[in-house]
Amino acid sequence: MGSVKKVALKALALFMAAALIAGCGQQKSGSDKQGVAGANTINIGVNYELSGDVATYGTNSKDAILLAFEEINQKGGVLGGKKINAIVLDNGGKKEEAMSAAAKLITENKVVALLGPATSGATMAAATMATKYKVPIISPSATSPDVTVDPQSKKVRDYVFRVCFIDPTQAIVGAEFATKDLGAKKAAIIYSNSDEYSKGLYKVFKEEFVKDGGQVVAEESFNSGDQDFRPALTRVKDAGADLIYVPAYYGDVGKIVNQARELGIKVPMLGADGWDSPKLAEYAGGAANLNNTYFTNHYAASDPNPRLQAFVKAFKEKYNREPDAFAALGYDTAYLLVDAIERAGSADPEAIRNALASTKDFDGITSKITIDQNHNPVKDVAIITMVDGKQTLKKKITH
Amino acid sequence: MLNRREKTCTLVALALVIGLLALANSFLNQYYLRLINVMGINIILVVSLNFTNGLTGVFSLGHPGFMAVGAYTAALLTIPLRQKAFILPDLPAWLAQAHASFPVALLAAGTVAAICAFLIGYPVLRLRGHYLALATLGFLVIVQVVVTNVSQITRGARGINGLPPETNIWWVYGITIALIYLSWRLVHSAYGRGMMAIRGDDLAAEALGVNLVKHRMLAFTLGAFFAGVGGALWGHLITVVSPNAFSFAQAFILVVMSVIGGMGSITGSIIGAVVMTLIPEALRGLEVGTTIAGFHIPPLYGLSQVIYSVALIIVLAVRPQGIVGLREFSMRRWLKN
Repeated sequence: MGSVKKVALKALALFMAAALIAGCGQQKSGSDKQGVAGANTINIGVNYELSGDVATYGTNSKDAILLAFEEINQKGGVLGGKKINAIVLDNGGKKEEAMSAAAKLITENKVVALLGPATSGATMAAATMATKYKVPIISPSATSPDVTVDPQSKKVRDYVFRVCFIDPTQAIVGAEFATKDLGAKKAAIIYSNSDEYSKGLYKVFKEEFVKDGGQVVAEESFNSGDQDFRPALTRVKDAGADLIYVPAYYGDVGKIVNQARELGIKVPMLGADGWDSPKLAEYAGGAANLNNTYFTNHYAASDPNPRLQAFVKAFKEKYNREPDAFAALGYDTAYLLVDAIERAGSADPEAIRNALASTKDFDGITSKITIDQNHNPVKDVAIITMVDGKQTLKKKITH
Repeated sequence: MLNRREKTCTLVALALVIGLLALANSFLNQYYLRLINVMGINIILVVSLNFTNGLTGVFSLGHPGFMAVGAYTAALLTIPLRQKAFILPDLPAWLAQAHASFPVALLAAGTVAAICAFLIGYPVLRLRGHYLALATLGFLVIVQVVVTNVSQITRGARGINGLPPETNIWWVYGITIALIYLSWRLVHSAYGRGMMAIRGDDLAAEALGVNLVKHRMLAFTLGAFFAGVGGALWGHLITVVSPNAFSFAQAFILVVMSVIGGMGSITGSIIGAVVMTLIPEALRGLEVGTTIAGFHIPPLYGLSQVIYSVALIIVLAVRPQGIVGLREFSMRRWLKN
């Protein structure tokens, strides 16, 4: 027994030493690569949630970004033949890790730009490092307005960009669609009181709907995870609403839709990108319940745009699964960055930043993108309607 | 106590450490500096956890709870008033007007955490073994739920952004060295001996006149004080505090560090914190996948987190007492050799 323990102990010590040495060795080989970077490669940092709770967001975006860079390198690279070298780090969905990964990518790998993270909190943490070292950072999917604009001083964060629309945009477009296309006059809103995303959309939608000439006849709140929505729905029905706005995530949305249809509420229901999930129909108690529902989203997989369809096909071939909005946005992020590098004519972070800030009518797969003075994109919002359980593109509204 | 030669050597070693830190501070890039700061904060957390888990045998899992209390307390004090009025408009007036410099905020962080420990210590410290561990875990859950839901003070799940980046190598290692010294003096005092007697056998210790509640309470509140300070340092290092950072996973990591180094030993706590900060970070380079001699290793994201569990299992199986066990580094023994 004693000798077994000794051997195991030695193995442990050896393993730990090997891990340390290998880790250091890895960094060294990274910096060796760096030696040639100036000559014929450009280092781009990819900082994502690849493990932890929101790993699917980060993984989908990261896979699409790598696919885009592969295509670009195959076509001859950027700036007349330079290859893009993507360095991927996992931040585990933790803010401190996102920051540390950003610091490592900038100082160790000498990246000229950072892509990611997927969520607003992690992006804001990584952005502090990007700002400190004056390296541009683009998030494909951080939707909080505070990411690019300091909420207190109202000043734009110079090095921070994104390619998704911000939350208020969805609500504004949703209200416009409700009044103009659905002809709604009396809206009811059911929102989650325990979720900032839901509360934010509720507030903006209410303002906009009234501004567009409508009237909000019922406002009901719930806590994410609640099971019984019948009392709230009954009040909504009695109020005579001709539209129900449900800005929440698909788990709650499914239950609300199911119970509304059960109570005989047939009016259209409208939501936001939190609805986007293959599981929605399952929660809603069948595809039929979802007819006459709509939601605002970043893109529609059924959009006939040939470049989008080519991306969907290439992504499926390479990874053997359907791309989602995070993947489509990641793909646009990668191409937007390359477009900026080409326009800047150099791989200097400052030049790339300036080129990003002056992006105009970039032809992305989710939409044409123009970066505004707040570093937010002016782009199309896709309105999706559910037809027998299938997401179908209803309309695109530019905002 | 130390003789003159030992004292001189200790001072020389201390000067050497300070010199190395000064070198690191002026020559290393932000990435390595952050790593060194995180390492120091982990040493503070593990050495303070050692008061309860190691010295007194009170197995607490509530450490991140005290970290959270400290981090939020300090954050609410150091954020500039105008910024606070903007991001937290519903703050009670006395809190909205409160502002303090970083050292005062650190002190307040520790004090508030210690008061929390004192209050929950009364019921909780009467429990033993697993029951006590579960009760402290319960405290951790309560802190998380409260922090998530009292959004007019904590901004809920969004967390508080934009803390002033006050934490630097001198704050972290100044406090680390002070804590190690305090810890060392405690171990060699009557209180420390009493704590270790309780760890050995609480009934026997009580029979010999050691006041169980008093000693446990001292260990618990002292540990909480430094957990609060550690949490505040951590918050001002990454400039964001949010409830999910102070989770059970954090408690697990701290306990693993403590067990691997050697529970009950200050030296072991330091070694555990250093080793288990550096190894996962080194493994991060391997996560991306690589090709060695034609053999392709695919990316394994999350690998660096698995190492905590793997290392714990191996240590418990082959060396349950940890790397150094109960032993301490001794200047005397070192000089003799």
